[in-house]
Amino acid sequence: MPAAPLDKIRSIVGAEHVRSGVALSAFVVEGRTPEAAVFPGSLEEVRAVVETAGNAGVPVIAWGGGTAAAVGTPVSRPAIVLGLGRLNALVEHEPGDLTATVQAGMTVAALQTALRARGQWLSLDPPDADRATVGGVLAANAAGPRRQLYGTARDLVIGATVVTGEGAIVRGGGKVVKNVAGYDLPKLFIGSYGTLGILVEVTVKLRPLPDDERLVAVPFERLKDAGVAVRAIMGSDLIPTALEILDAEASRAVGLTCPGQGATLVVGFDGVPEQVDWQCAQLPTLTAACGGGDARPVDPGAWSRLGDAARAAFETPAAVVKLSVLPTLVAETMEQGAGVARQRGLPTAWAAHAGVGVVRAAVFAQPAPAQLTPVVAVLEEWRSMARASGGHAVLEWAPLAVKGAVPVWDDAGAAGRIMQRIKRQLDPANVLNPGRFVAGI
Amino acid sequence: MVPLADARKASLRRELEGILGRGAVLSDPDELLVYESDGLTLFRALADFVVFPTSVEHVAAVVKLANREGLPFVARGAGTGLSGGCLPAEGGIVISLMRMNRVLEIDYENQIAVVEPGLVNLHLSWAVGPRGYYYAPDPSSQQACTIGGNIANNSGGPHTLKYGVTVNHVLGLEVVMPDGEIVWLGGRTRESLGYDLAGVFVGSEGTFGIATKIVTRILHKPQAVKTVLGVFDDVDAASAAVSAIIARGLVPAAVEMIDQLTIQAVEDAFDCGYPRDAAAALLVELDGLAVGMDAQAERIVEACRDSGAREVRTARDEAERQLLWKGRKSAFGAYGRVSPAYMVMDGVIPRTKLPYVLRRVNQIVAAHGLRVGNVFHAGDGNLHPNILYDPRKPGEESRVVAAGAEIMKLCAEVGGSISGEHGIGLEKMDFMPLIFSAADLAFMQRLKDAFNPTGRCNPGKVFPTRKSCGEAGPVAYRPHPIEEKGLAQRF
Repeated sequence: MPAAPLDKIRSIVGAEHVRSGVALSAFVVEGRTPEAAVFPGSLEEVRAVVETAGNAGVPVIAWGGGTAAAVGTPVSRPAIVLGLGRLNALVEHEPGDLTATVQAGMTVAALQTALRARGQWLSLDPPDADRATVGGVLAANAAGPRRQLYGTARDLVIGATVVTGEGAIVRGGGKVVKNVAGYDLPKLFIGSYGTLGILVEVTVKLRPLPDDERLVAVPFERLKDAGVAVRAIMGSDLIPTALEILDAEASRAVGLTCPGQGATLVVGFDGVPEQVDWQCAQLPTLTAACGGGDARPVDPGAWSRLGDAARAAFETPAAVVKLSVLPTLVAETMEQGAGVARQRGLPTAWAAHAGVGVVRAAVFAQPAPAQLTPVVAVLEEWRSMARASGGHAVLEWAPLAVKGAVPVWDDAGAAGRIMQRIKRQLDPANVLNPGRFVAGI
Repeated sequence: MVPLADARKASLRRELEGILGRGAVLSDPDELLVYESDGLTLFRALADFVVFPTSVEHVAAVVKLANREGLPFVARGAGTGLSGGCLPAEGGIVISLMRMNRVLEIDYENQIAVVEPGLVNLHLSWAVGPRGYYYAPDPSSQQACTIGGNIANNSGGPHTLKYGVTVNHVLGLEVVMPDGEIVWLGGRTRESLGYDLAGVFVGSEGTFGIATKIVTRILHKPQAVKTVLGVFDDVDAASAAVSAIIARGLVPAAVEMIDQLTIQAVEDAFDCGYPRDAAAALLVELDGLAVGMDAQAERIVEACRDSGAREVRTARDEAERQLLWKGRKSAFGAYGRVSPAYMVMDGVIPRTKLPYVLRRVNQIVAAHGLRVGNVFHAGDGNLHPNILYDPRKPGEESRVVAAGAEIMKLCAEVGGSISGEHGIGLEKMDFMPLIFSAADLAFMQRLKDAFNPTGRCNPGKVFPTRKSCGEAGPVAYRPHPIEEKGLAQRF
């Protein structure tokens, strides 16, 4: 990167907020070190930094807590990291409106702590909440087990302020919970991995904290039966906040035990105590009819581990994949997928947000070049399985060698061409995270 | 818009009939009149043709023909919209989706339905009702409005407080793009790949393309429902009760407010059991598990009492509950009893600003020598002041428009929005700068260009006709329809 634009960036944010050299080690992704890591202290500074980088033809990688930094195809040109860490304030919280406006660099955990003090919460429970930032979680569309009842970012974000690749400040949505004025820009930025705009401030809908919340685990000897139980629960009057299926490996990773090669069904409930009591009492009747064992309470500490259960099963997995399928096909997908890997001698771990059809699988292989071929074959079969179920598969984490052999993103087809047109319209100079996303965006 | 020459019109008509069959193309001015406006009758515009496709291929062929001929086109459902969004503002072809009204598939286990855009909203709930399911978004026009129209406007309704608006239920769409290509945005799974195209398409007011199939969630009916009526002698107290309910940690399924003028109109028309002398009534609905419901209803009752309600009661049975809701949902029709015409406004404010804003709305309307009835979604701050007037009296219509503009400014000033569910359409294009900057609007315009580069798909909507201070805006200046009618000046 030429010296002049970097000098200008130093003058915008102050030299003490620009890291370079060895101080960049925390921002190395896939062996690539950025030219600099820049930490603006205001919306205007973010704007000026992006504009300066864009004019110099230097790509900008937005950075929150770095928890999803390795997702996607790495940016191939020399780039700068734009860290939102200094923009971490809760700007506004009006409990009577059930809304909050927060800067993108605030961690989810810090936000929840501040909201909890006033009896409310943001009903989004992504993994790594103590490090993941609000902006990063939205950009990666991360969520956790409570999405079963409370949905994902698209159901919660009502306004967003972004800096575009051309260095313009754009606001979409607003601060009210219902709003159809203009196009719904916040939807566009959620899950866009920083390719259309850098989220700087967002307004979200909140919920009152429930009076009571409980987590219950039911062991199953056969994974398939856990899938049948999920269908029975979804067709019943129960209103679970979470419906998770963990295979034996993933169960062990979060400290739950299940018989042999079976599975654990983990179900969450909230509400007033009598509602939680009643549902916990009803659950065993439903699950026993499907072959479930004794239901037992789970320590609330397990909530935060459920979303990452598959990955946590191995110290160094060879790949982690997210498969989106129809909810009724979750158990089948998990069993078939494990079988495909077993045939090639590779152990796997599986965990699913079963009620919404989001399945995560981790595959383990010895880190030897000879193991690359079976890993690639397994990943390709998993992707075909997801597609056959009307869904898709995304390689959420893998070493560069694997990413080189298996595309990170699934083929978006004709919709991918519309996405490319959107990217060309909104970031014509391709400044924001070039090449990282779907369809070569 | 220059009218089409007769010979060209006749030949296009033959070509359209070749695509769609006889009986599926209207072009006589008398027949076209039916389609010259929507629920907002202030605006009228005539199309050259109204066509009735029955398949996605029909829609794509008509769109391609329109492109070849350089004609604008606009999709239309039941025409119940309230912002002029489906009007053929610049002539061309109206594509009515009313004959594409089938439920194509219901997958109860995955809780999704695949439907055509012309399906009436309530008919989806009827289709899945016998198995214990329903479609949650419930606009007041749900007996007539279509799911396709709901997609265009991202429609809400009373129960969106707890269950969200249309976009929170739509998973995927088959769309005829403005160039005639047929594309799926999103799909059947909860997570889509790449940008949330279905998410931005919903609420794009027909300017991104025409949805021809819709994959939407259906919900399991709640085990129990309880409806509480709070009666107040004072509008401020009723407003305060809304915040008090929220403060007690409850998210009711719906919190609706009805003011005195509206109560009296509703009671004249339907005798629903609202006290005629009340200043305001709150209709609060809880749903969910049967167990614990009484305790939660008690919290609602307390919140109303503590805020100064003179009477709080729970609907004794389903019949009484239905009657109370009939009053709420029929309010618009009931205004006919007290006024020859009315204009529905739609704005959103932060819930905590309700008492102040309602006082100001009443002052604004009174200052213009008019009356207003309020019936609205208080729980999410979505106001619907209905300004009553007599179109036969010279000058009244323009006073209504002027009062409406002041109410929009008020909503913007308190940090709200100029539309909660009716959309921008033709009505509110020039209010957009109240809440969006030039940069915001330019960004939206480019997003539109990505979907609709020629602008032929529903032109002349959503974006302001020009920016203030005579700057060149993202769209070339043309007179606003209200301006052309001589009803208002620009602000």
